[in-house]
Amino acid sequence: MDFLLASLVDGLLIGSVYGLAAMGLTLIWGVMRVTNLAHGAFIALGMFGVYGLFNGGFNPYVGLFLVAGCGLLVGIGIYYVALHRVINAPQLSTLLATFAVNMIILGVGTTLFSTSPRTIDFSLGSFSLGPITVQNTRLLAALASGAITGVLYLFLYRTRPGKYIRAVSSNRAAAELMGISSTHILALSFGLGALLAATAGGLIATFFPFTILSGDTYQLKSFVIGVMGGLGNPFGALIGGLILGLLEGLIPVVMPTTWVPVIEFLLFVIILLVRPNGILGAKR
Amino acid sequence: MPILEVNDITSGYGDVQILWGAALKLEPGLMTCLVGANGVGKTTLLRTVMGQLRPWSGNVRFEGHDISRLPAYKRAERGLVLVPEGRQLFGDMSVLENLEMGATNRRGRPHLKRNLERVFAMFPRLQDRLTQKANTMSGGEQQMLAVGRGIMAEPTLLLIDELSLGLAPVLVLQLFKNLQQLKALGITIMLVEQNVQMSLAVSDYGYVLAQGRTELEGAAATLMRDDHVRAAYLGL
Ligand SMILES: Nc1ncnc2c1ncn2[C@@H]1O[C@H](COP(=O)(O)OP(=O)(O)OP(=O)(O)O)[C@@H](O)[C@H]1O
Ligand SMILES: [Mg+2]
Repeated sequence: MDFLLASLVDGLLIGSVYGLAAMGLTLIWGVMRVTNLAHGAFIALGMFGVYGLFNGGFNPYVGLFLVAGCGLLVGIGIYYVALHRVINAPQLSTLLATFAVNMIILGVGTTLFSTSPRTIDFSLGSFSLGPITVQNTRLLAALASGAITGVLYLFLYRTRPGKYIRAVSSNRAAAELMGISSTHILALSFGLGALLAATAGGLIATFFPFTILSGDTYQLKSFVIGVMGGLGNPFGALIGGLILGLLEGLIPVVMPTTWVPVIEFLLFVIILLVRPNGILGAKR
Repeated sequence: MPILEVNDITSGYGDVQILWGAALKLEPGLMTCLVGANGVGKTTLLRTVMGQLRPWSGNVRFEGHDISRLPAYKRAERGLVLVPEGRQLFGDMSVLENLEMGATNRRGRPHLKRNLERVFAMFPRLQDRLTQKANTMSGGEQQMLAVGRGIMAEPTLLLIDELSLGLAPVLVLQLFKNLQQLKALGITIMLVEQNVQMSLAVSDYGYVLAQGRTELEGAAATLMRDDHVRAAYLGL
């Protein structure tokens, strides 16, 4: 029973970071209708970013801010280089463009970093609450994910660029008529998606070992969460992440860990069949 | 000097040519209407004027400047504003946010407050529904919002595509009155309408688009007496 409780709490904490990663994927999908296959690569870059900065003497949480900023800029750059020209082409073109970006990042990353696992040798200790022991890095990651979700929400609903993102997402042609450059807004959205992915990656790296290829797993989780929470909805993604985290905490209690992905993707398929717009029923 | 000049525009989609030489001259302060059969290219002409479509040949001049190469999103801040066919609201955004987006260009922003009051005076119904999402409003309310969003941009020239389509006669009448109010404020208006009778009745000048060309033009009162117009568009 105590073991169950402990793994539930752990699942929730980690799940919120999954939710953060998924937000990056769903934001890009929601605004620009692009399935970003470089999402996992952005997550991995975030991991290596924090890792590199940590080894260069930065506190990982300070490094996270730098990684977030770089994620934004790199995302914007990639939009202009790889996506802008095909943004109005059929979705297969943008899919392949992000796939190409993914392959480039992973290829260069493998050459530079090899695929041997890394860890950030950093601990904030842990605390116990009755029968549960919580690692502070995980608690902090969960708090950060919650805070970033809130900030993203405020950004989208209270600031002018945020409203532009929603307007472009809702009706690109009408947004242009109002005087909004949809190109700039699409680039910004892609940058924000990369920022969220890289930040989630950086947070994960503070408590899990990783390689340049680790992003793949989290990319798949992001897809599952995306269909759960409804694509294009930050809170939906956070809740989807928590559900997935709970499942990951629960499943190993009743069956071998190898079943985790099986159950996750079974869930994925069932949701797609039953509620194609996500459990939280987002639009479209 | 005409506020808008469309000079022998040809344009279309892909390989399909729709406009074969459309020409317009809008005089400032007047209300002009553009009529024509369904599918003749009225909306296509407006899209070309707004820069959503590139003209294949010919040019568009606004307030004396050739704007043919100006990106679409830079036209609103010049005062060239379109209320598009089918309303094209931001469906997931609130009524107030839709109005704010209308005023978001550099030209409209300083006048946000005054124009908001103007819109509310014209459409009190919108003021009661500020937080409602645009796509949950009735068709009539959505059209009010679409026009309101256009007014928020502080236009010098307001192009309106299918104002009356699908609306109850009472509301159509009210909207046409609202256009007169806008005209009285000094806004030049071009109406693109199915409702030929009514739009000619409120307009000063009119154009008839046929076979991709502006085939006929003249004072609205004259057009209304024209045999061809009466037979083809007024069913008389
Ligand atoms: N995006 C598009 N791609 C291809 N063809 C189009 C497109 N939009 C319109 N057309 C075609 O161009 C022609 C002119 O369309 P347009 O919408 O300009 O007509 P309209 O005069 O506005 O008609 P209505 O009175 O029905 O609004 C039509 O034959 C239409 O099918
Ligand atoms: Mg039309």
